[in-house]
Amino acid sequence: MIIKIDGKECTAQKGEYLLSIARRNGIEIPTLCHSDALPGIGSCRLCIVEVVEKGRSRVVTSCIFPVMGEIEVLTNSKKIRNMRKTLLMLYLARVPENEKIKKLAEEYGAVVPERFSADKSEDCILCGLCVKACESLGSSAISTVNRGVTKKVSTPYDEPSKECIGCGSCAYVCPTNAMKIKEKDGIRTIWNKDFKLIKCEKCGEYFATKEQIEYINKKKGFNLEDEMLCDKCKKKKAGERLKEVFEDYRE
Amino acid sequence: MSDRKIVKVCCGTGCLANGSGVLFEKLLEKSKIKGDFAVDILVKSTGCNGLCEKGPLIKIEPDGITYCKVKLSDIDEIYEKTILKGEAIERLLFSDSSGKKTKSHKDTEFYKRQVKLALRNIGEIDPTCIEDYIERDGYKAIYKALFEMTPEDIIKEVEKSKIRGRGGAGFLTYRKWMGAKKVDSFPKYVVCNGDEGDPGAFMDRSVMEGDPHSIIEGMIICARYLDSHKGYIYIRDEYGLAIKNMKAAIEDAKNHGYLGKNILGSGFDFDIEIVRGGGAFVCGESTALMSSIEGKVGEPRAKYIHSNEKGLWGQPTVLNNVETWANIPLIILKGGEWFAGYGTENSKGTKVFSLVGKVKNTGLVEVPMGTTLRELIFDIGGGIIGNKKFKAVQTGGPSGGCIPEGLLDLKVDFDTLTEAGSMMGSGGMIVMDERTCMVDVARYYIKFLSEESCGKCAPCREGIKRMLEILTDICEGRGKEGDIELLEEICSMVESAALCGLGKTAPNPVMTTLKYFKDEYIEHIENKRCPAGVCKNLTTFFIDSEKCVGCGLCRKNCPADCISGEIKKPHFIDASKCIKCGSCIENCRFSAVKVK
Repeated sequence: MIIKIDGKECTAQKGEYLLSIARRNGIEIPTLCHSDALPGIGSCRLCIVEVVEKGRSRVVTSCIFPVMGEIEVLTNSKKIRNMRKTLLMLYLARVPENEKIKKLAEEYGAVVPERFSADKSEDCILCGLCVKACESLGSSAISTVNRGVTKKVSTPYDEPSKECIGCGSCAYVCPTNAMKIKEKDGIRTIWNKDFKLIKCEKCGEYFATKEQIEYINKKKGFNLEDEMLCDKCKKKKAGERLKEVFEDYRE
Repeated sequence: MSDRKIVKVCCGTGCLANGSGVLFEKLLEKSKIKGDFAVDILVKSTGCNGLCEKGPLIKIEPDGITYCKVKLSDIDEIYEKTILKGEAIERLLFSDSSGKKTKSHKDTEFYKRQVKLALRNIGEIDPTCIEDYIERDGYKAIYKALFEMTPEDIIKEVEKSKIRGRGGAGFLTYRKWMGAKKVDSFPKYVVCNGDEGDPGAFMDRSVMEGDPHSIIEGMIICARYLDSHKGYIYIRDEYGLAIKNMKAAIEDAKNHGYLGKNILGSGFDFDIEIVRGGGAFVCGESTALMSSIEGKVGEPRAKYIHSNEKGLWGQPTVLNNVETWANIPLIILKGGEWFAGYGTENSKGTKVFSLVGKVKNTGLVEVPMGTTLRELIFDIGGGIIGNKKFKAVQTGGPSGGCIPEGLLDLKVDFDTLTEAGSMMGSGGMIVMDERTCMVDVARYYIKFLSEESCGKCAPCREGIKRMLEILTDICEGRGKEGDIELLEEICSMVESAALCGLGKTAPNPVMTTLKYFKDEYIEHIENKRCPAGVCKNLTTFFIDSEKCVGCGLCRKNCPADCISGEIKKPHFIDASKCIKCGSCIENCRFSAVKVK
């Protein structure tokens, strides 16, 4: 199937999401809540585009819009740019000091009217990506709490969560660096909970929390007595082993 | 043979709140008195009769006598005179604003113009008594659907009826059903949306409370068409009586063989479960509702893949509103063409509205589609309270819009309301008079939505938050030049970029008030004046000495003691002490109190 994005003909498979077709073809659409590794959320609305079908134009969310027929897409029309501008103005009003949003707002010429109050320490745009990541990993320690204008991301009752393994995936996927992780003297603090960090037996770097390793071992059925290595050293070890096997084979 | 009298006590929520429960108990007690009179008395408690304004209502049949605003002290007299002797008590009869008395409610202007299809049984039957429903042709339609009709026959009738979903969006019901039928994936689900949450709306509540079996029957018919074996009724938890009556109805239907395994020996199985909502307005949105049934956070999802293909637990699901389900048995029984005989070209049948606000006959009404707003508000509703001037009518719930006087002759249906910038919604209709500030109305609804938006998508959450900031500022006297343009900019983005129906329609209260009442916004912003005298910071009341007759009513009612004057001489308001409650302007019968 061929669809037209900003005049360019692109091949697409039925049911494929519009955003991935565009990106494959080098057409950039801004997003905040999208991660290739996680199911689409469609909450940030920045990836809205215009779809023209049978002469009728409508606004769709490209990250979750499955292409079912031969359509024409406008990713950067005046209408779409104006809507992104207003949306970014609202985002900037929410997180006035956030670098990522400041940059995007500048790109679209969005300026916050003076009349809007804002919390300068706020960085979270409530896209929900952290919640999705936590859910996909299987611990579901955090969730969106409340609704409407009081919505936030938190653990149940804001208390340290029994389920949280301190893996930091939430922070890793966050598009605006809103997650506050502290690491000091072998202790990682995240979501009001302290986690003991484990040192790599080889290089001596802290690389994971105890709970994280236990969780992985349990899930994968690994032996707890295995050597504790960080990702770097693990790779190095695997490489060395491969080299040995290869040399043995040559001999 | 003894004379049989049926006494129907309205036990809808409105009448119950006015004490009809006690009246029912007392009448029940009276009916058990054995005497040498030849009257056999049957006392029933019924669902909502609609005329909530005049409740508690009691109807006595076969005499066709309706009593309004009955008090416990009236019961003995009703028993002695009306029940035993058949005499009407003049004092308790319905009286209109001119004082004209009407013996039976059926002859009043309020009821005469109504056509009761979805509400056909409400007020007539005891909702907890399945025999009452069966007596009025209840469950006949499922005999037809199970034994005489093929699934194709069923969908043909629904198609002919052209009924559109009563939940608000007005999607053609038969198309929704057919879409789910086409998908070859089982199980399939049938869902009833009873999460009515609009302020001032009680249509679905009344049907669930007053005629629960009609919903069950409608769902069974759809299940039979789809070959679905499981249904859910999602009811907001605040509706205690609706949950109770629905539960009892499901049990009764099971005991009578209408629900459960092998329905009426047909070999078809279907069961219904009740799910209680958690108090979120957004769960009335179909995808959020399904998410809530699944036990997840009640947030909507994009509908690029419709629920009838992938709904509950990813399976084909038909979700309809309470009122739609209640109409289905009638369509099967009397035929789609008969149903399509009512209404306008593209909106068939009738629609139930809850008529509230500054209208004389507050209540629940059902009229054919295409009835004008004027008929609804002035003929059925009896006009505006205190003979004040009509200003606007708000339809479609919080995300509907305000329609001005100039459009009173609008024939109400799905399309005309949308064209006017509002929407049908589930049928809430709030009437506003001249003492309503339209900026304040927009602020009120946006405040409601700021608390009830799920907050998932940024346009709705952040847009509503900022609109509320601006509107509050305007109402409190901090409006600035450029505010109207800023509101318009945010509205137009939210309307297209929001994720779900709630978000996309959230700007409606602001957009319609801006469209029809822009001068009021300008007055607030530029002249710091609220013409309706509602926004306290922008209101100054004064008494027009030429119109004031010195009756003293305003002075007596003023809670701040800021009005002075001698009897029969013009009065004065001390603006420095005035708390702007508006009691003087509400009470003045000579229009002497004015807003500066």
